[in-house]
Amino acid sequence: MADLGAISLWIALALATYSTIGSVAGKLRMSPALVDSAQSAMYAAGPALLVATLSLVVAFISRDFEIAYVAAHSDLAMPNKFTWVAFYAGNEGSLLYIATVLSIMSAIAIWRAPEKLKDALPYTTAVLMLTLTFFLAVTAVMANPFDKLPFVPIDGEGINPLLTHFGMFFHPPALMAGLIGITVPFAFATGALLSGKTGDEWVDAGRVWGIFSWVLLAAGLLLGSWWAYTILGWGGFWFWDPVENAAFMPWLGITAFVHSIMVQKRRGMFRMWNIVLINVSFGLALYGMFMNRGGSVPSVHSFGSSQLGWIFLMFMAIGVVVPFLIFIWRYPLLKSAQNLDSMLSREAAFLVNNMLLLAIAFVTLWGTVYPLISRLTNDEEITIARPFYDQVNGPLMLALVFLMGVGPLIPWRKAGIASLRKSLLPPITGGLLTVGVLATLGLHKEYALIGFGLSAFVTTGILMEWYRGTRSRHRSSGENYATAFLRLIMANRPRYGGYIVHLSVVMVTLGIVGTSFFSVQKDVVLAPGESVQVEDYELVYLGTQEEFKGNRTEFIATVQVLRDGERLETIRTKRDFYPSFNMAATTAAIRSTPVEDLYIVPSENLPDGSVGFRILVNPLIWWMWVAGPVMLVGTVVALWPQKIRVPAPVPSPRRIATGLRPSAD
Amino acid sequence: MRPSNVPHFPVTLTFRAALLLAALSLFALIGVSTIGVLHAQIPEPAYSESEAQGIDRMIMCPVCPAETIDQAQVQISMQMRQVVREMLAAGSDRDEILDFFVDRYGKDILAAPPKSGANLVAWLAPVVGVAAALAAVFLILRSMTRKEPILGPPRPLQDAGLIPYLQLVDRHLDMTRSSPSPSGTSGQSESTVELSGPEISTDPKENPEENV
Repeated sequence: MADLGAISLWIALALATYSTIGSVAGKLRMSPALVDSAQSAMYAAGPALLVATLSLVVAFISRDFEIAYVAAHSDLAMPNKFTWVAFYAGNEGSLLYIATVLSIMSAIAIWRAPEKLKDALPYTTAVLMLTLTFFLAVTAVMANPFDKLPFVPIDGEGINPLLTHFGMFFHPPALMAGLIGITVPFAFATGALLSGKTGDEWVDAGRVWGIFSWVLLAAGLLLGSWWAYTILGWGGFWFWDPVENAAFMPWLGITAFVHSIMVQKRRGMFRMWNIVLINVSFGLALYGMFMNRGGSVPSVHSFGSSQLGWIFLMFMAIGVVVPFLIFIWRYPLLKSAQNLDSMLSREAAFLVNNMLLLAIAFVTLWGTVYPLISRLTNDEEITIARPFYDQVNGPLMLALVFLMGVGPLIPWRKAGIASLRKSLLPPITGGLLTVGVLATLGLHKEYALIGFGLSAFVTTGILMEWYRGTRSRHRSSGENYATAFLRLIMANRPRYGGYIVHLSVVMVTLGIVGTSFFSVQKDVVLAPGESVQVEDYELVYLGTQEEFKGNRTEFIATVQVLRDGERLETIRTKRDFYPSFNMAATTAAIRSTPVEDLYIVPSENLPDGSVGFRILVNPLIWWMWVAGPVMLVGTVVALWPQKIRVPAPVPSPRRIATGLRPSAD
Repeated sequence: MRPSNVPHFPVTLTFRAALLLAALSLFALIGVSTIGVLHAQIPEPAYSESEAQGIDRMIMCPVCPAETIDQAQVQISMQMRQVVREMLAAGSDRDEILDFFVDRYGKDILAAPPKSGANLVAWLAPVVGVAAALAAVFLILRSMTRKEPILGPPRPLQDAGLIPYLQLVDRHLDMTRSSPSPSGTSGQSESTVELSGPEISTDPKENPEENV
């Protein structure tokens, strides 16, 4: 298996290299045959990598400990389902995973690319395959998952216990796929620039793949937060850890991009800006992947200190500088097709939204690198962690939520004061009413009031739009309200999908505001039979069971939850101690309701049978996890192909130069 | 209810630091088993727990990457949380406690640098950056509104084949709405355009081209 895997890895590397060179050479020498064969090589790289992937999976399942990677990340006791996780538990496997995902995305992207992009496709292919070549070269030469040990160990070292959690089945693969996925819209943009097709031809493909990587990143971030919340045992979900930040920044960049690209799609404007945004997002994605492997900053996420750092740094430098040189070269061609009609227009709102998103990304980057700057210039070690980001990014995020409520209500081109007043009145009323009611009820934390007020503002605005649209459909066509509502959504999917995603962002806001300002935390040590009062809840610790399970000791504590003397539930919370890792993994017991979570986690087991518990009451965090599926639904709606088409541009004589694929029409 | 903090000892300011050093080494020596004894006593803390937690969240755990002592559940961070509570009980305020840890561990024990001296740069750069970006966006938008048209006539929001249909929709809406809608198609409000969706898909002139 090791040999088969290694051979297919090298074959894929050869194919990707050939495809890169062949695409460019074929295009420059006007040789359709060469371009065709380069494209076939690209289509073949995916299957080759799938064979390599399968080889590694089989090696894991058969516990082929002769392969160093298998021996390092699994053992005989590991259940087979964790093969999925063990696969990307280290550098070697995760690089293979990234390469496989990129090869498949590339093939689909090129295969489904619209006819009007034909001219640019060889360059797009070259960009995709150059990136793939880099990842495969690093994998094959520096971090080959199929390298063999000089001997065959009797058992492997086992999987990192922190990874044996449900969330780990999705969080790393989603994030890695999202990060590498940004390559696709970037390749379409760069292909457009290189081929001189600098108009709006690439916009649809760029938007679809931009949203696709956006949702992968968003899902990865949410799942990671959820994992941290349930397993890391401190009751929070976000560290502002350098590697989290590294995944957060490209998400911000691509969020700006998927908004801004709509302006180009609808109005033919912001052509330069969209190129800048996708270049920035790609650079940030490369930075994210660099931080993950051999970044200089300590983190709970790093794949160990690996030798790959410098080579990723170099690739990142190239990936940032070259696209901007291409941009400067093509700058004169990137004129907008239209002028801005008014500062009070959706176009302008989008630009401010972009600015805020990039500002948050900048603050986050600044926070990550400032300790380094301080070390170099002042010779002073300092830390930048959560309090900094809370204070600086907090207000920016609130401003973003505000804009999220305003933007969709402002029409394209130019907003009239009267129509604006009409559409903004309900949401403003909703927001102020919420603030008023909450303040009357005795809530006096300003930031929290603003957060809740803005959430109500956005929600009212969206519901109002839905109601108005549905009503006018109902009246004009006689459809009943349910049909009218569904047809309304289906009639403009990008817009209504966007609304659904916005609602999910409001849900996340509720969770963040709720836990940031109203979370109650208590650390107690309880002997069996003792109880503690936290907020409305009375918790009685009944006792702990100890179970030895091969590689770990499980301490299962049973706690009875009462409220107002009434028994609610008996919950069990677990702390696993892994002697071989000298590490404990906890599983919090969470009683989750839309109002608040009761969160109990054992932090230590004392010799006398008493247990140190951390108990939290986290208001509204339930909404944050429910936001995930809502966001997914919104994205699917936004991406669902719609049959309204902009007419294809008149074929230019230059498209004859290549014969990429049979014409679709 | 039994909070796990130790009872507070009546101490004078002079002895505070010495006591804390002693307490630290005491905890280091005796370790976990001590807590079992201590939590048998029920002290009434002279400070609010949320205040203590606020301070915990400002102090990094010295041995764990990127975690505060509030988050980390390792021995040393438990001991440091203990020290925070003892100092609060002894009457120290937040700044004194933070200074105490800075003296012992260096400035990087703080989760965020103080807003003073050279570290003011860390806090001001984002503010300056955001202000500059806002100004830039304003200037860009202004220059974009002032330019003459660049490439040909303005493009309508929808493709030209839809215009007759959209006018039809407009007439329908005029019948149902009290206020008349704008006449031109290019300045059309969004809601009018949305109504046109599914019916348009049956348009025989529809472009068969797939959209990725």
